[in-house]
Amino acid sequence: MQTDRVADRIATFGRMYSQAILTVCVLLLGACGGGSSAPPPTGGPPPPLPPITKAEANQFLNQATFGATVASQQNFINLRHDSWIDQEMAKTTSLQLPFVRALPRPQNLAQLQTDRVDIWFRNVLSGSDQLRQRVAFALSEILVVSQQGALLQAPYSLADYYDVLARNAFGNYRQLMGEVTLHPAMGEYLSMLGNEKPDPALNIRPDENYAREVMQLFSVGLIELNNDGSAKLDTQGQAIPTYSQEIIEGFAHVFTGWHFADARRFELARRTDANQTIPMQLYPSFHDTGSKTLLNGVVLPAGQTGEQDLSDALDNIFDHPNVGPFLAIRLIQRLVTSNPSPGYVGRVATIFNDNGSGVRGDLGAVVRAILMDDEARPDVPMELDGKIKEPIIRLTQLWRAYDASSSSGRYPIIYAYIVFGQGPLQSPTVFNFFSPFYAPPGEIRDSNLVAPELEIATEYLNTFITNYMFGQAFVNNSENINPGVDDVLIDINEEIAVAADIDGLIDLVSEKLMGGDISDTLRTEIAGMLALIPESEVAVRAAETIYFVVTSPEYAYQR
Amino acid sequence: MAAIDRREFLRKTGAGAAATAAFAACPGAAFSQVFGTSAPFPDYKALVCVFLFGGNDSYNMLVPRSNAEYAVYAASRQNMAIAQTDLLPINPLTPDGADYGLHPMMADVQILFETNRAAFVTNVGPLIEPTTKDQFQNQSVQLPPQLFSHNDQQNQWNSLRGVNQSKTGWAGRLADLIRTNVAGQQMATNVSLFGSTLLQSADETVAYVMGSDGPIPFIGFDDNDAGRAQRAAFEQVINASYGSIYERGFAEIQKRAVAAADLISNALDNELPPTTVFPPTQLGQQLATVAHLIAARDRLQMQRQIFFVATGGFDSHDDQILNQPGLLGGVSAAMAAFYNATVELGVSDMVTSFTQSDFARTLTSNGDGTDHAWGGNQLIIGDAVAGREMYGIYPRLELDGPDDVSGGRIIPTTSADQYAATLSRWFGIPDADLATVAPHIDNFVQRDLGFLLL
Repeated sequence: MQTDRVADRIATFGRMYSQAILTVCVLLLGACGGGSSAPPPTGGPPPPLPPITKAEANQFLNQATFGATVASQQNFINLRHDSWIDQEMAKTTSLQLPFVRALPRPQNLAQLQTDRVDIWFRNVLSGSDQLRQRVAFALSEILVVSQQGALLQAPYSLADYYDVLARNAFGNYRQLMGEVTLHPAMGEYLSMLGNEKPDPALNIRPDENYAREVMQLFSVGLIELNNDGSAKLDTQGQAIPTYSQEIIEGFAHVFTGWHFADARRFELARRTDANQTIPMQLYPSFHDTGSKTLLNGVVLPAGQTGEQDLSDALDNIFDHPNVGPFLAIRLIQRLVTSNPSPGYVGRVATIFNDNGSGVRGDLGAVVRAILMDDEARPDVPMELDGKIKEPIIRLTQLWRAYDASSSSGRYPIIYAYIVFGQGPLQSPTVFNFFSPFYAPPGEIRDSNLVAPELEIATEYLNTFITNYMFGQAFVNNSENINPGVDDVLIDINEEIAVAADIDGLIDLVSEKLMGGDISDTLRTEIAGMLALIPESEVAVRAAETIYFVVTSPEYAYQR
Repeated sequence: MAAIDRREFLRKTGAGAAATAAFAACPGAAFSQVFGTSAPFPDYKALVCVFLFGGNDSYNMLVPRSNAEYAVYAASRQNMAIAQTDLLPINPLTPDGADYGLHPMMADVQILFETNRAAFVTNVGPLIEPTTKDQFQNQSVQLPPQLFSHNDQQNQWNSLRGVNQSKTGWAGRLADLIRTNVAGQQMATNVSLFGSTLLQSADETVAYVMGSDGPIPFIGFDDNDAGRAQRAAFEQVINASYGSIYERGFAEIQKRAVAAADLISNALDNELPPTTVFPPTQLGQQLATVAHLIAARDRLQMQRQIFFVATGGFDSHDDQILNQPGLLGGVSAAMAAFYNATVELGVSDMVTSFTQSDFARTLTSNGDGTDHAWGGNQLIIGDAVAGREMYGIYPRLELDGPDDVSGGRIIPTTSADQYAATLSRWFGIPDADLATVAPHIDNFVQRDLGFLLL
């Protein structure tokens, strides 16, 4: 059974079955004893559910939050999965825009990007709606807009855009598509805003930017998929393109006539503090009224209103059978594992297609299906389970576990994308910080697997992050007697209290950061280093322990 | 300067072409006869790929200037056209009957071109085989999949994969081919200053990624007892055996980082950078670091290097007229400064920089910008360049003309395979190995475009 999963996963990415894969399978088969399982029990009342272990809680919470903490583990153990998810989905959404709007307006609006990042950190570190925030972040890496570019001067717009993602994190994807499409941040980022009908005399035709990317990156992707995420193949064994240039041009014509709201005229529309958070408005005389060819042979008739064209066109995309598996793969990759099996993708896509009540696109049901799937928490840990944590989540996990704060109360980490290679709405392009298909050279690529997060785990960024963690552990901790007001300090008082006891100190840090599961090698190496540090240097011992854990491969790995 | 004299001598006598032909006539053998299969190279060479992310509108970089051709250009481009009188004239040694000019912000490149140090390859792009408009429309030839899509066409340029999946890039395969010849190198042949790139991905060799200002050393690994102990413990952790394929993948990167950071940082610390002033841009900073690394090449026993640098913002769907001057001016200034630095270092005939970009852009406009297209023009700079020439065919920029598939998307007449093959031949691989680097080179008559002197 386990071996089937390996082969299945490989098939997910449509790769050839090579000797290298065979080798991996054989190795796994050896490691897992062939995957035989006990027969199901027959008759009688269902046995009581076994208690959830700390390790299980830790694993789940690293999938579903911005980092497991000791307190959140206990809460989860008490609630169990379903109730925990129920509670999370009922929580009030932590928002960004009210925070950013309440600040004094600086001359240079770009300065508020720091505050936008600040409120993102506040929400993901201590917002109670952890699952919603984690899903919103995942969505922000699919439905990408970024401060890098023209939107640097539109912090309100970006804050509001993120709020749209957070509010709709458990809503319906069709609704989210509509709000994203008409959001002025997306309008500016992918240039649908200001897009106008053709002017043949001047060789002007509609802008194809949003038309292309809404399909390629937000919904259906480049090639036709089976429900399990594998590629559909034609009779020659080739993948089938989902759309043609003609279809892109059809959508480009649909997306004409929209601009910032409340302008006197289309040509006079400009970004203001107010309109950057209001959905774009149709200026009918700039909308193309011809017929438009869409996906699956659908043709919109000539003469429709811009609103009708838009609604029909988004329905056309939303109803394409690719959307379920397309989103399933990406959301599973962000939350649980880089290489889901086709079965896992198919189960989640099936919930997207119908949540059980006949509703298509229910993201709350999709998120629950992702987290509750057996493959998210296998009985026997597999070599391919899990993923590399996103770099910024390595930071938030540390900060959550160590109650990190600055004396100003702020987290002005505007440079997140420089140090960590990513940050909230800070992607270099609409293609996100990393590709869902990235395979690093070596055994992962040779095995036809992927590890998206490793695309930005370059030698350079890894060094940068390692050094940042050094500064965090040794300098920016609660022993710092003269920190800057914005320096974010971790609280190491508990570590200091036990630092005379090397094993006790390692146990404590392991408990907070690894769910108590630390490798013998890491423990041995830390113990060796701590033995070189005088017992009286308690803060140094604490810092050294935290540094070694948070820079280790096992901490970078999300089980 | 000597390199130019040599080039002009070769051009005038035709010896360059003859030598090229002779080299090509004895496939496979030539390289091993000259160098031995794994002998170190007798010289130093570097290729520097300047990737212009987003799709450079290169028909506004190199523009027809003579009246008849300009009129066609202006009629197609309308409000995206550069004014005829603003174009910076260039005078190729082998004219094609029309006159050409450069974008007004590219004065540095104009000088390099006119003094034989720069050349263009015109209307080049991903192709699997020569393709006419009829063949495109009838789909009677194989076409690169997902034309006009950013990441797919970046990947085509970088991998030359055609219709097949490819996990390696052409520079990666090039590095693999020469790996036994450069076994003494202390740093990877492929170095990126702009993140991981498929261009440098390979089966046998691994590229090294540094920042725009070089690698950074690890804090805490000082050269004293405490620092050495810290480093040793850190290395024990990353060298441990891990159960997950992801942990191992992460640890591999950490291992390369620890192994190389101090070595390269020390080499740079002990080598003065060239005094040439670079523009204070991201691209300028990257190229300044490349020049510094080239200056330090002997400290790391480097014989062959392929650098990847890049700059973005070329996806000008909006505000093209506003943004293009800064974009092209930035490329011109940074690449010219880099050329000057190679002159200062005495390596200007050993270092060749060249551009790549996703695609050129539609000749038509979407109002205030342009959309994704296909074939475009690329720039090559260095003293090994047979400069002051335009290689390939400059297309007629006519809407619905013979090369336009729709909206001013021009079918390339020279393939990215030919472009990469020409660079690779100069770098030192034999004709027989070209198909390893450029898998579709056999589909094209001209295997070497001739823009580099061998």
